[in-house]
Amino acid sequence: MKASNKIRMRETIVSYLFLAPALFFFIVFVLFPMGLGIFTSLFKYTMKEFTFIGLNNYITMFKDPVFQKSFINTLILVVGSVPIVVIFALFVSSQTYERSAFTRSFFRCVFFLPVVTGTVAVTVVWKWIYDPLSGILNFVLKNGGIIDRNIMWLGDKKYALLAILIILLTTSVGQPIILYIAAMGNIDKSLVEAARVDGATEFQVFWKIKWPSLLPTTLYIVVITTINSFQCFALIQLLTSGGPNYSTTTIMYYLYEKAFKLSDYGYANAMGVFLAVVIGLISFAQFKFLGGDDVEY
Amino acid sequence: MKKSKVLSTILAGAMIGSMLVPAASVSAAETTEITWWAFPTFAQDSVDAEPGAYEKTIIEAFEAANPDIKVNLETIDFTSGPEKITAAIEGGTICDVLFDAPGRIISYGKNGKLADLSDMFTDEFVKDVNNDMLLQSCKAGDTAYMYPLSSAPFYMAFNKEMVEDAGVADLIKDGWTTDDFTTVAKALQEKGYMPGSVFCSGQGGDQGTRAFVANLFDSSITDDAVTEYTINDEGGVKALDYIKTAVDEGYLLNGSAYAGGDDIKNFATKQTAFTLLWGPGTQNSNQTLLDDNKIETIEVPMPSADGVPELEYLVNGFCIFDNGDDAKIEASKKFLQFLCDDAEWGPKNVVRTGCFPVRTSFGDLYEGDERMNTIASWTKYYSPYYNTIDGFAEMRTYWFPMLQAVMNGDKDAQTAADEFVESSNASIKNAQ
Amino acid sequence: MGKKKVTPFVAVSFVILTLLTILFVFPFYWIITGAFKSLSAAVAVPPQWFPAEPTLENFVTLFKNPAARWMFNSIFIAGVTMLAVCVTASLAGYVLAKKRFYGQKILFSIFIFAMALPKQVITVPLVNMISKLGIHNTLAAVILPLIGWPFGIFLMKQFSENIPGELLESAKIDGCNEWKTFWSIAFPIVKPGFAALAIFTFINTWNDYFMQLVMLASRENLTISLGVATLQAEFSTNYGLIMAGAFLAAIPIVTVFLAFQKSFTQGITMGAVKG
Repeated sequence: MKASNKIRMRETIVSYLFLAPALFFFIVFVLFPMGLGIFTSLFKYTMKEFTFIGLNNYITMFKDPVFQKSFINTLILVVGSVPIVVIFALFVSSQTYERSAFTRSFFRCVFFLPVVTGTVAVTVVWKWIYDPLSGILNFVLKNGGIIDRNIMWLGDKKYALLAILIILLTTSVGQPIILYIAAMGNIDKSLVEAARVDGATEFQVFWKIKWPSLLPTTLYIVVITTINSFQCFALIQLLTSGGPNYSTTTIMYYLYEKAFKLSDYGYANAMGVFLAVVIGLISFAQFKFLGGDDVEY
Repeated sequence: MKKSKVLSTILAGAMIGSMLVPAASVSAAETTEITWWAFPTFAQDSVDAEPGAYEKTIIEAFEAANPDIKVNLETIDFTSGPEKITAAIEGGTICDVLFDAPGRIISYGKNGKLADLSDMFTDEFVKDVNNDMLLQSCKAGDTAYMYPLSSAPFYMAFNKEMVEDAGVADLIKDGWTTDDFTTVAKALQEKGYMPGSVFCSGQGGDQGTRAFVANLFDSSITDDAVTEYTINDEGGVKALDYIKTAVDEGYLLNGSAYAGGDDIKNFATKQTAFTLLWGPGTQNSNQTLLDDNKIETIEVPMPSADGVPELEYLVNGFCIFDNGDDAKIEASKKFLQFLCDDAEWGPKNVVRTGCFPVRTSFGDLYEGDERMNTIASWTKYYSPYYNTIDGFAEMRTYWFPMLQAVMNGDKDAQTAADEFVESSNASIKNAQ
Repeated sequence: MGKKKVTPFVAVSFVILTLLTILFVFPFYWIITGAFKSLSAAVAVPPQWFPAEPTLENFVTLFKNPAARWMFNSIFIAGVTMLAVCVTASLAGYVLAKKRFYGQKILFSIFIFAMALPKQVITVPLVNMISKLGIHNTLAAVILPLIGWPFGIFLMKQFSENIPGELLESAKIDGCNEWKTFWSIAFPIVKPGFAALAIFTFINTWNDYFMQLVMLASRENLTISLGVATLQAEFSTNYGLIMAGAFLAAIPIVTVFLAFQKSFTQGITMGAVKG
């Protein structure tokens, strides 16, 4: 007993020595700011004052119509992107994983290209593509006879959020496709072959054999896509500044505007805390709902 | 032990390296080092010159005259610059000298971030400027926070070739009315030109659209005493309705996707026939682009119902952030005086802003320049200056969404204007 | 007919795949060709599918703005972060996977919890804090918080699980001390993970726009991503110039990705599901 405790103690000391550098940065630059964010969300914290106001920031927040709007917009982006990303990624990877290594690699690159191109570069090129006067999208659609008048993709509330969503999708599917291709490669091929020999349709093969083994991957993809969509910011800042009439304002953008345009830091932090809680709850629910036991985090 | 050595060496190396890089210059013992942040207000020699090239020549001259002061220049842009300033104020890394306009400067002053410049407003200076409205725009109450250099009205510009082609060039002149404007816009539309946009994305340049709305049917943004917002009066609502109709019928472009800068570039690349965001400085800084596209401009005040417009105007000036170092504040004041009062560089700098000097003693810097003389005559149209109102920054965040709501048909003009006025009036109180 | 039947399903999915490929590759093509278009060529209607008179003027303008400096800053930030993350994470991941110590479970749970939260929600307090440390508007302000992010620890723990316990035991019997055991036994085994983490961190750091945006202010200190965003603000619809900037911002990362695709893919896969 005593000896094993002693060994464990020794192991503990050694382990914390190994952990020390990581822990240092983690505590100072992650945990501490988290605490600071929660703490200052209880203050009226601006350029000139720092006064305790209890939960007032949160109360103001829930009553703030722009906040409500931005929360809904954020949810639309999440709800719009998650299923499409999953289906899209499933489709592409199921079409490619059985092909040659070269084809797999090719499509992996194609769909990962927007991710590695970088958010800013992708965003500015889309701004040009969407430009109402000199953008190529209007030109193509007009010449194709699909529209007869230039559409202001980013300035019209009917299209703006959709336009943002499309860009968001192109930057979101790369990683899921890589994950699915890997996961599909791990599926027991003999099972699939046996089912095919037994005359199962492709759909049956997919649904009965492949899908169950893809569930853990799917869960992970759902979680990261959700988190990613919740954080949508650069697209908004560089393309629409939240317009027209707040129809593309996301929580992250509104938070940024409150903090760095109006230096209302307390209020911004309250939104940050709220966003963190929501994301935490949703991730948790997704685990429960999709049965996360198979995934080891 | 070896492990921690390796580790600490790597980490220490990384950290020291990363910290040293930005702080490259080490100041000598006797020199005071100040930092100057500049929005692109001075015209550069050409459109694709490196931002800040002209500013550097000023600094060279100043440092030659004041070897004990070193000036570091940072250029910032109108789109993300304001946020950067806010972050830097919070971050304690704000510059010493900022070249901007009263809107933001006065609010920094009210928040206690600026050095008091009242001692620079000497009797000589006040007498020389001889314009109470202008002097007041540099102050919050009695405390001066901005040392002004130059001033000019904002107005609009047309593409001469296009309006001549549409046969309506003669309508576009000082004293023109809203009806004239309608005729011009429709004629342009008929000729297949895109007349112009009521841009309202981002934030910069919003004053141009405010002036346009206020003038169409003789409303005004605030009351004369600048105590509350009044754009939801009959004329203001009528103007918003007018814009909505024009957008629907296609003789104005819904500018919800364009920021002020985009609008100017659209104009300067022949995409649109007019822009609501123009000034003598804008003309200067875009001259190369205009020449490249062979565009001649017609500059004109905003159209108004009665032919007597009320124009917004720009005051360019400098403020000094109080970073707790008196030596830096003193050095910055010296620099400001050099920028604005120096016999050689003062007038030169005024001309680079494309505006008119605030000091009457500089005389007529544009002698014989008919265009500048005409523009100078528009100063009689100056409207009450509301950019120093409490909560100005917050009001600006409501303006473009209001225009977007109207043009996209989200809200009718009355509701949109009422809501704008309500939020903006609340912002006055919030900021007090 | 070949050995594979061309069913309508296969045909349709081929078409869809092709269309999607175009959708994904076109913006990249548009950046590359746009970079060589003059201002008037860029806004020309009908658009030029390929620059009619390719010009280098955009790049000349770009380097008059300190694009070279921006590139250096980006490389520096991504490089230092990568090094530091790799070191801290491989040490931490190793003990989390292979040691039994007090507080292990709770510590790991905290890491996981923090990882699920978006980094962005803490940036405002982070800015406040960084400013109190007096390092706002320095490259360190971007680097330090990114080192603290626990994803790397998690990834390296996953990789470290593959180290056979017997090897570590026998090393101990041979009289290796803890550091030597890690360095000469464990580390060689997790090397592929190390490479994956390195590339992953480099790319993510390079593209972490938000952190750079709130931490850096002066023109000299911008990264290439921020620089491009700034150019868009300053030159608005001068798309050729902006594309040239985007080109510069994208090329290094695309190259890194193509060169190390295998490691990178492995990193992503290992980070997701335990293999």
